[in-house]
Amino acid sequence: MKRRDFFKFGLGGTGIALGSGLALSTDTASMAQGRNPHGHPWWVKKIEVPKLAIDNKVYSRFNSRKNVFGSFAQYYGMDNLKELRKRSREKTRKYYEEDRPGYRLEDRALADAAWVISRLGGLNRGTRSWTSKSVSTPERRGVERYSRSPEEAARLIKSAARYFGAATVGIAPLDRRHINSHERGKEIVFEPADEPYENDEKLVIPDTCKYAISLSVQMSLDNLQCSPTAISSAGSSMGYSRCEFLVAGLAQFIRGLGYVAIPSVNDLGSSVAIAVDAGLGELGRTNRLITPEFGPNVRLCKVLTDLPLATDKPIDFGLIEFCRVCKRCAEACPSGCLSFDDEPSFQVKGEWNNPGHQAWFENSPKCLAFWQESTSGCSICIPVCPWAKKDKTMIHEIVKATSAKIPALDRFFNAMDEAFGYGRQKNARKWWDLNLPEYGVDTTQGKG
Amino acid sequence: MADKDTFTVLKFRNRPWYIWALRAVWFLWVLFWAEVMVGSGKEAESIAFVISLVIFLASLVAGISLWLWGYLKFKKART
Repeated sequence: MKRRDFFKFGLGGTGIALGSGLALSTDTASMAQGRNPHGHPWWVKKIEVPKLAIDNKVYSRFNSRKNVFGSFAQYYGMDNLKELRKRSREKTRKYYEEDRPGYRLEDRALADAAWVISRLGGLNRGTRSWTSKSVSTPERRGVERYSRSPEEAARLIKSAARYFGAATVGIAPLDRRHINSHERGKEIVFEPADEPYENDEKLVIPDTCKYAISLSVQMSLDNLQCSPTAISSAGSSMGYSRCEFLVAGLAQFIRGLGYVAIPSVNDLGSSVAIAVDAGLGELGRTNRLITPEFGPNVRLCKVLTDLPLATDKPIDFGLIEFCRVCKRCAEACPSGCLSFDDEPSFQVKGEWNNPGHQAWFENSPKCLAFWQESTSGCSICIPVCPWAKKDKTMIHEIVKATSAKIPALDRFFNAMDEAFGYGRQKNARKWWDLNLPEYGVDTTQGKG
Repeated sequence: MADKDTFTVLKFRNRPWYIWALRAVWFLWVLFWAEVMVGSGKEAESIAFVISLVIFLASLVAGISLWLWGYLKFKKART
């Protein structure tokens, strides 16, 4: 055989192999679309109850005043906090003078600007208002309200959610224990009512609101990998702003069908608990949601509604087994707030944790203190997680699927992930030279 | 007419089935690391890119060397 012929033969063979590979992946994608366009990858198992147990005698509604943002001064100590803020101001000034990448004026301006849409809403305020005067209800249109089957309604809602920017969406029957008992000093109550409302004493949710739509929004891993800098902070704030747009749009859509919709981001109740029930992911070592598609690299939000919907089940993709041996987030955490325990437990770390459920509980005041210390927040635990990947190569999918099915290999996969350099901090200066996709995220990721 | 045409003749030496299987495994192995290398480049993961590049090149060179060694040995044995 001549050399030229050898190359022809070789290239032809490669072409056939690549072609059949592509055809196979297209086929798989369309098959998945036909089955369930909003489902998880094949290696994700549906289960009846979340793997981490709930103690029904203890688990109850949480007073949001006790969360770390509401009572940081109390948990950390007022004098310590004053000292911390002073140190943070001095460091900020020093970083400006040093022209330190990730802490320069343009970096901080970007982080601040990315919050801008998020700041349009708050609990029953602005974009997160519980009712809307501008909606064209079926009544106004002179037609009956939407009344198809719960399965059809769920499909409709999931498609609309994707359209408004959700990376993944699931529906759970509303467990009222996930809803805070108090917000802004007012009690949150479930009462017979046609519409949600608020007065001087209480926030009222109609007791017909029996469904929670759980939504995740991707964050830019390119930003988060620069953590802890203002560039990574911009990734988080952009996630929140996109959540704001998503819940506002979806709630208005549901109202347009003739039903109650209560949009919420971090307010109102635990987005994580609702997301676990709705099968968006599992509770990881960070005591936050880890999804099979994006790892922890998502922001969560939710919409409560009385529109009858078919609900989803919790999922199991071997995350608890993986977190048991991994501990990369705990090792990377500069504040040392994450648990190194082998097993999740019911033992909370402080009043900021809602007791009554199994988890790897975190020391939240330490975390929040480091946000001040770093001068621009922190999200290191997110990009170091081996489940947070851009999925541009099939090796990630192969590893995730194998880990889900053969937990005995988790330790090996974690070691390889570290050896291949994943999770290392990127240079924030170089972020400005990237050819970023829209919003900094690949919106086709995890879509089969 | 046919006598005036020129032909390229590909000759495949008879080999046991496991040799072909090994070649297919090697080919897929090389292809896999090429894909990881390209993907890691797209992900801007420099260490993963370099490691997969090294594995890809090492596998490619090792496979080709082994094939050439076998070919030359066979040729020498015939002469």
